[in-house]
Amino acid sequence: MSRIGVFVCHCGENISRTVDVEQVAKAAGEIPGVAFSCDYKYMCSDPGQTLLKKAVAEHKLDGVLVAACSPRMHEKTFRKAAEAAGLNPYLCEMANIREHCSWVHEDRDMATAKAKDIVKLMVERVRKGKSLAPITVPVTKRALVIGGGIAGIQAALDIADAGHKVVLVEREPSIGGHMAQLSETFPTLDCSQCIMTPKMVDVANHPNITLFTYSEIEKVDGYIGNFQVTVKHKARSVDESKCTGCGICMTKCPKKKIPNEFDQGHGMRPAIYVPFPQAVPNTPVIDRENCTMFQSGKCGVCAKVCGPGAVDYEQQDTFTVEDVGAIVVATGFKLYTIDRKPEGSPIQGYGEFGYGTIPDIIDGMTFERLASASGPTGGKILRPSDGKEPKQVVFIQCVGSRAREKGISYCSKVCCMYTAKHTMLYHHKVHDGQAYVFFMDARTPGKGYDEFWRRAVEEEEAVYIRGMVSRMYQRGDKIVVMGSDIQVGVQVEIEADLVVLATAVQPQDGADLLAQKLGISYDKYNFYSEAHAKLKPVECATAGIYLAGACQGPKDIPDTVSQASAAAAKVMTLFAKDKLERDPVVAKVNEKYCVGCFACKKVCAYGAIEEKEIRDRQGNLVKKVAYVNPGVCGGCGTCQATCPSKSIELDGYTDEQIMAMIEAL
Amino acid sequence: MKNKLMHLSNETMNIGFVKKVEALSGSSVRRCFQCGKCSAGCPMSTFMEHPPNRVVRLLQLGQGQRILAGRSIWYCASCETCTTRCPNKVDLAAIMDALRKLSWDADGPSKESYVQLANRLFIENIRTYGRQYELRLGAAFNMKSGQFLKDLMLGPKLISKGKLKMFHSKNKNIAEIEGIFKRIEEMRKKGEAL
Repeated sequence: MSRIGVFVCHCGENISRTVDVEQVAKAAGEIPGVAFSCDYKYMCSDPGQTLLKKAVAEHKLDGVLVAACSPRMHEKTFRKAAEAAGLNPYLCEMANIREHCSWVHEDRDMATAKAKDIVKLMVERVRKGKSLAPITVPVTKRALVIGGGIAGIQAALDIADAGHKVVLVEREPSIGGHMAQLSETFPTLDCSQCIMTPKMVDVANHPNITLFTYSEIEKVDGYIGNFQVTVKHKARSVDESKCTGCGICMTKCPKKKIPNEFDQGHGMRPAIYVPFPQAVPNTPVIDRENCTMFQSGKCGVCAKVCGPGAVDYEQQDTFTVEDVGAIVVATGFKLYTIDRKPEGSPIQGYGEFGYGTIPDIIDGMTFERLASASGPTGGKILRPSDGKEPKQVVFIQCVGSRAREKGISYCSKVCCMYTAKHTMLYHHKVHDGQAYVFFMDARTPGKGYDEFWRRAVEEEEAVYIRGMVSRMYQRGDKIVVMGSDIQVGVQVEIEADLVVLATAVQPQDGADLLAQKLGISYDKYNFYSEAHAKLKPVECATAGIYLAGACQGPKDIPDTVSQASAAAAKVMTLFAKDKLERDPVVAKVNEKYCVGCFACKKVCAYGAIEEKEIRDRQGNLVKKVAYVNPGVCGGCGTCQATCPSKSIELDGYTDEQIMAMIEAL
Repeated sequence: MKNKLMHLSNETMNIGFVKKVEALSGSSVRRCFQCGKCSAGCPMSTFMEHPPNRVVRLLQLGQGQRILAGRSIWYCASCETCTTRCPNKVDLAAIMDALRKLSWDADGPSKESYVQLANRLFIENIRTYGRQYELRLGAAFNMKSGQFLKDLMLGPKLISKGKLKMFHSKNKNIAEIEGIFKRIEEMRKKGEAL
């Protein structure tokens, strides 16, 4: 006969308002096997917990049930209290009579009856419960950071400064990401390169950081504390160990008219190139698709002029496997384009803006490059079509964003601020020019942000027009912008020389594929999902993987850097212990009955199920069975529900417990 | 005029006019972020085709002529509720004053306004007689506005109650009053007064 204690909480008035807690406690006391029951105003308070501990000792309880809120709230609290009283913490359970009962019902009698039922069946679960011990997993104290933008750089530096080894993997030939493309940054207008390059150099020189540029994640195996990540190093065609970064290959390359991606296609670069002067590493890469040597086999100029003989046309892609304990994902964003989209794409371009066919309609990032001293125009604002200085510039906000029709319903968050910045940069460079901004709302939450926007309007004389643009078309060398000022209630027409669109922030290309490799979840836009929107904003649902920057949702630089440091702090917390303790609520396989159909493997969301070979003494294969890696198992129970032979069970939620609960009703 | 398509360019935006309004009122129009609190509290807002916030908005867009074409500024009672409550320290009452002044000077579109006519006759009367001569004011207003019979039947009633004098009585110190007018005119020339 078991001796279970039932503690019914009032939760102030949250429960007792609709549930007669005294009756529930009394009814619980009458269940066979319940040795003690009571009710108390706040069970989670210190006196409440003391009450529980005392009762365990006095009544020699061997199981505890707290009927209160959701276990998500206070399971840990009461399990700790039970443990302090000498019980195995996993013999303490919670009956949720708040979220599942008092909050959702109005009729007191019926709610009380339901609360009694919930308590009754949970008592059965406690009765069939087993003592469990936490699982320990070793930790590899080495982190992987995916993405070398400001988020990845910050996370890598923080972890490395804490004394742990970091592998930083970047897809492009240089780290720096989008921040390196910016001219000046809001709200202080400091030069992006000036504050960015020191960090990039720090990454390159840090003894704890291994930098892999022009590399991608091929495969991810393992689990928290013990990941094995296969990294693909794309062939650079230049030996990094030999190259001195003199740059003579770039000046001698005969093919020089390739649109430079770093300048949004507006500047030109040779086939062997570094994306921008401050690139880290300063090692060129050969763009094989545009290189004459690779296309026709005749050229080889770069190899001839290279003093140290670093150019290597025969280089192949290579792969390495990196053992890491934690992963920070910082893959960043891309900008939406208004171009016509392929049929069937959920995101559609803007026909009313000419589907990107008008050359002087550019996006915000292109404007950044035009305004940047290192950009294609040397920092002069000149329009792409004829190189003239635009005297009337129209900025349009919310292009793609907040447009359900275009498949994107979210706010891109950064555009209001960067557009205000653009009007200032324009006003500083073209004194007799006029900037107009069509906007719906100016969203400027942030320190000094609203003041910055007001400065653009009041001091830098940008004309903000509340209302959207309906159509744009070319008339002569002007772009006719047809909008409206909804405050005055009139249609507005502006003949603009240049139009800058604040297009939506979207996740990087391939974000979904990387998420599938990592086993993390993502939303319908391909932004990575955090474990909890408020309380776990940097953790993934998959243990040991953390998020930083715009890959999780649109973010500006201060927010990105904060989140990157937060992710780094989470990694350091993980690395602070030599062994990891994990909740023992994991699935176990009964190898005797398992027939090796691996239906469980197909449904496991965590990739926790492996194939295990069972051999006889002679080493002959008897059968293959499923094996659950306790370090990876998330305890969701899908495998248990799927297993046709009922040979897989989740500790704490065994079939026996569930059946007893059903029968109690 | 009210709903006519608005072309915006350096040529069509009359920034000079806005600068004048700002100088006369001592208040920036760019400070306004169009919260609408002025219009929300304005007792005359319902009579105006451009409520106070839109008057400021039109100034921000350099569209002073659109304001002067309408009568909104003449409905303003100068109660200063807008100025008192504005979160951005935009002195709307002063802006309205400045606009009325500029409208007066422009002798332009708002000449059609009876308010302006009444104001002018009122001041002229004071200058001539040193005080108000209501009978003449009423008669002149009716003649000039072309509404000869307006409120005519009120006349005998007011006269019988002594509210309207048949003959004016001139102020003794008329020369001093003329001096006040002269001084204001001089100050205006120097740009020291509205």
